[in-house]
Amino acid sequence: MVALKVLEIHKSFFIPAVKLETVREHILNSFRLRKYLKDGRELKVLSGINFSVKAGETMGIMGRNASGKSTLLKIISGIYQPDRGTVECAMPITPILDLGVGWNPELDAIDNIYLLGTVMGLTLHELKTAKDEILEFAGLQEFSRLELKHYSSGMAMRLAYSVAFRAVRGLLILDEVFAVGDMEFKEKCYQRYEEIRQAGHTVLMVSHDPSEIGRFCDRAILLEGGRIVQEGSGQEIAGAYIRSLSAEKCQQQS
Amino acid sequence: MPGLIWTLIRTDFKTRYHGTLGGYLWALVKPLTMFAVLYTVFSVIFSMDTYYALNLIIGLFLYDFFSESTKTGLMSLHAKTFLLTKTKFPSWVVVLTSVSSALITVVIFSIAVCAYISIFRRHLSFLEISCFGLYVFLFLVIIIGISLAGSVLFLRYRDINQIWELLMQAGFFFTPIVYPLDIVPHKFHFFMYAWLPTAVIQFSRSVLVKGEIPTITAHLMLLGAAAAVLFAGASLYCRLAPRSLERL
Repeated sequence: MVALKVLEIHKSFFIPAVKLETVREHILNSFRLRKYLKDGRELKVLSGINFSVKAGETMGIMGRNASGKSTLLKIISGIYQPDRGTVECAMPITPILDLGVGWNPELDAIDNIYLLGTVMGLTLHELKTAKDEILEFAGLQEFSRLELKHYSSGMAMRLAYSVAFRAVRGLLILDEVFAVGDMEFKEKCYQRYEEIRQAGHTVLMVSHDPSEIGRFCDRAILLEGGRIVQEGSGQEIAGAYIRSLSAEKCQQQS
Repeated sequence: MPGLIWTLIRTDFKTRYHGTLGGYLWALVKPLTMFAVLYTVFSVIFSMDTYYALNLIIGLFLYDFFSESTKTGLMSLHAKTFLLTKTKFPSWVVVLTSVSSALITVVIFSIAVCAYISIFRRHLSFLEISCFGLYVFLFLVIIIGISLAGSVLFLRYRDINQIWELLMQAGFFFTPIVYPLDIVPHKFHFFMYAWLPTAVIQFSRSVLVKGEIPTITAHLMLLGAAAAVLFAGASLYCRLAPRSLERL
């Protein structure tokens, strides 16, 4: 069964020479700045992206900075609209594009669990029963009533991670979120991630770390300039990514 | 969805009064003190007609509710950028919950003013109280409609909030708050009622102070106008929001 089908996705952003952001600027433009409006450039971020992910499969996406990875994930998640093309998904999507989205530093860990959890689609009842487990996974039981502003960034990220992994349903989308905490916590996250995979969830993950793509992904794609330049197993693409980086380095040196 | 709405309102409420000496009591104290101060100034110190003082207070509070909540609603999407650009999230919920704080204030005020009138002036019937509740609800519908439209327009035109603030200031004097509507020539009344805060304020005064319930036709017109504003705001929102969020 195909869980996700991405068909011929195109996306570009228009970068105007003069950015019109206010009513005043729009009015003035209609008199004397009209010529500037035509100036500008079309920034093509994605051009004809096609791929599909089977249910239960883990698909990796690699590519250098500005290759269109995050825009692609935002389109699949429904945050951005494509200019052309369609995204067909047979299951609910849980996007984790950033950890700790929406948390409030003035509130304590428990209030933030409710806030983050509901934003990610969990119900209050689910959160009430899961909050102790979430705190335990993050190793923060004794700080549950401490305001988040007093947490170290590592502690806050651990909390965000615990909530995010609790909220997983259907297709999980991850955008470079594994660079969190110390080695012990990282290993704990990998284990949790393996459990999610074994539970049959479909995963789409972006990472700059070839070892992560090689270790976790059944298949992967390599993006360059908004196009898919290679598709293959996780290890193949991890290798191709390293080669593309070395080739660029050699070019710069020569 | 109800859990999400409740959590956003609760978080906003908690953050607002977090670390203050009075805590949640401030939510109660602010409208009650305002009511007491305004009533003392206009009724006791200036010895104005009690009806005038009550009319003035009702007008001031309802207009303040309209002005504050639409201003917050206008900025609501922009204020939650961090949320909307990073997760799939029903963005209209953000607009909806942004009016909660002003709504809590107006609800507390409404209870206070109804209690005051019932105890010291005249008995308020259940129908009169229900009518007043309906007007506040319709005002909320109008505010949500305006906020939905304003919040997406703000992402395209960043000075909309300044323009709206000017409009609110001018609207304060256009609405019969400090002066009675009767001093305006009758032929202009239609235009004054077309500015919806006038209708809500006049209807509320009529049921609470005078004890007169406006006609069914007047109610239907207010209901229709509120539905039209919500429909227009929601349509504009649905049309512009998907692309506008990319401007955050």
